Amino acid sequence: MKLFEYQAKEAFAERGIPVPRRRLCTTADEVAGAATALGCPCVVKSQVLRGGRGKAGLVKLVRSIDEARKYGTELLGGAIGTAHGVKKVLVEEAVAFERELYLSITVDPQAATALILACADGGVEIEELARTAPEKIIRERVDIDTGLLPFQARNIAYALGLDQKLSQSFVTLLMGLWKTFRDKDAELVEVNPLFVTRADAQGVSALIAGDGKLVIDDNSAFRQGGAQPSREYFDSDVAFEAAKEGIPYLQFDGDISLMCAGAGLTTVVYDLVNYEGGSVANYLEFGGPNYKKAVRAMELCLVNDPKVILIVTFGTIARADIMAEGIAEAIAKLRPRCPIVACIRGTGEEKAVETLKAAGLDPLFDTEEAVRRAVVLAKGARA
Amino acid sequence: MSIFIDRTDRVLVQGITGSEGSFWTRHMMDLGTQVVVGVTPGKEGQNVEGVPVYHTIRRAVSDRPANAAMLFVPPRNTRDAVFEALDSGIKKIVTIADGIPLQDAIQIRKAALSCGARVVGGNTSGVISPGFAMMGMFPYWIERVYKPGRIGVMTRSGSLTNEVTAMVVRAGFGVSSLIGVGGDPVPGTRFAEMLPDYQADPATDAVVIIGELGGTMEEEVAEAMLSGAFTKPVVAFLGGRTAPAGKRMGHAGAIVTGGKGSVADKIEAFEKAGALVADRPRMVGELLRQALGSTPRK
Repeated sequence: MKLFEYQAKEAFAERGIPVPRRRLCTTADEVAGAATALGCPCVVKSQVLRGGRGKAGLVKLVRSIDEARKYGTELLGGAIGTAHGVKKVLVEEAVAFERELYLSITVDPQAATALILACADGGVEIEELARTAPEKIIRERVDIDTGLLPFQARNIAYALGLDQKLSQSFVTLLMGLWKTFRDKDAELVEVNPLFVTRADAQGVSALIAGDGKLVIDDNSAFRQGGAQPSREYFDSDVAFEAAKEGIPYLQFDGDISLMCAGAGLTTVVYDLVNYEGGSVANYLEFGGPNYKKAVRAMELCLVNDPKVILIVTFGTIARADIMAEGIAEAIAKLRPRCPIVACIRGTGEEKAVETLKAAGLDPLFDTEEAVRRAVVLAKGARA
Repeated sequence: MSIFIDRTDRVLVQGITGSEGSFWTRHMMDLGTQVVVGVTPGKEGQNVEGVPVYHTIRRAVSDRPANAAMLFVPPRNTRDAVFEALDSGIKKIVTIADGIPLQDAIQIRKAALSCGARVVGGNTSGVISPGFAMMGMFPYWIERVYKPGRIGVMTRSGSLTNEVTAMVVRAGFGVSSLIGVGGDPVPGTRFAEMLPDYQADPATDAVVIIGELGGTMEEEVAEAMLSGAFTKPVVAFLGGRTAPAGKRMGHAGAIVTGGKGSVADKIEAFEKAGALVADRPRMVGELLRQALGSTPRK
């Protein structure tokens, strides 16, 4: 689960990582108040989970309290914010910086270690940089049990070209980031940009985390408080409803709704739909522990008003006959207007075929054939 | 002949008294696997399918030595269970758990590497040599998928394995040994680490790799081919060619990160190494024929 910037910065601050002075606001009045307290210019940042906030007009440097209030109104009640579901904004002091660095901690699956990535050119798309100039990325593997040792942090600090004083601050900061990574069971902690501030009158500069990204491993939720994420973490009501049921759900903008079992098979069905010239409306995982939830899954499929529902499974533990019974029940209860193409195979498939036929379907056994039929039906419905 | 597991291995089942544990213990035994002992804390003295149950592995193996451990244990207890097996010197471990915490998976793989053990999984159906033995949950009675033969299969995805292996069988081939490395971002065993076993296995003529976007496991196989460490024909099928960037739409491991792991990268690596790459499941059978000559060897 990806946390909001303000939550990441809270976690950072608790572990000794310098972050800008800031206030979290939910009304335009609070934004104006924060601008007064922090002083102008200051930065008003929408708290949304999508990337590219700057380009989308969701972050702004404001020069006066009036401007802060006006922008706060646009975000929290006006057109810009509503379109992006902005409910909270973070107001921060503006940091005068001379350099922007990149710093993150993730895992190295092959070496079975944690992996720190750093780069002297921060503020950029790191994935793009990794592709175009991989030599610019500094890598340091960290043993997950021993933890980050100071020499490793020094290795990175000096490779980044920091002076003696800043290197010491960097070691402390990276220790805090390591602690965040471990304490929070993170799959990623990232500071981008990490500001090197402009030298003050005494010629002293400092490090400050300009942005913060903290992605908590969903599989560790049980030991991270275990709270079910609230609506604000999801793009849509359907995605939120699906998550409450424990059903993986993704929304696209095409015609065919996929009810598939198994992550790998779903990914391939998605490919095949595209190869055949079709498009996907949404995808619901109808396998694993969810194979008895056909009615709820189909209900969620129908929210996007798809042209066709395509069901493809090859179940072993998730038995084909039980899945077919669920589909039959869902059809009886929901009476979907769109056609359904079903390709349900695996344990108990003979019985599944009878059940599907009794429900008025024409069961198929070949994935590619099922995809072709769904694409043809979707095009017919469109014409 | 098989790799990883055969009928001489003595398998211990952790979590044997649970519904999955007992159900698949019976099927493992029906296929010919020697399940010698089970472990569930608090259940010593019971037996499952005639297999005696003990509180701990230490108590179990002192009565009935085992060299392989099959885990039917929930993800949050998997690290504990794997370390318990390693502590008793067991070197072959399979875990099916779906949802192992990421940082636990790092610790599990690190521990396995440091003591020369092999942990397969999690998030997998396991390992099977059709007609011989299995550790995991495979419906081997579905003949059109699990027909014995001479093709090795390695896969990141359980659901896709059935789909693709059915095409291998439809083309007239069968399966020698199938290793499900699993769909997690940090699998205990990686594709390339199993290649020496397939290379040495006289019962395997070629290997099918069922991969997907994300990570670098497919690229590592291509490297082993280029270096000459693996010389048998490889046919690869990769899911996620059209997956939208940045959306996690499948396994946790199936996401492009650090500028690495796109399907295009993997295809390029495989083709450079001389592997044949199928873009649809059906093509896997055709490409195997092309690689091995038109008549499958019996």
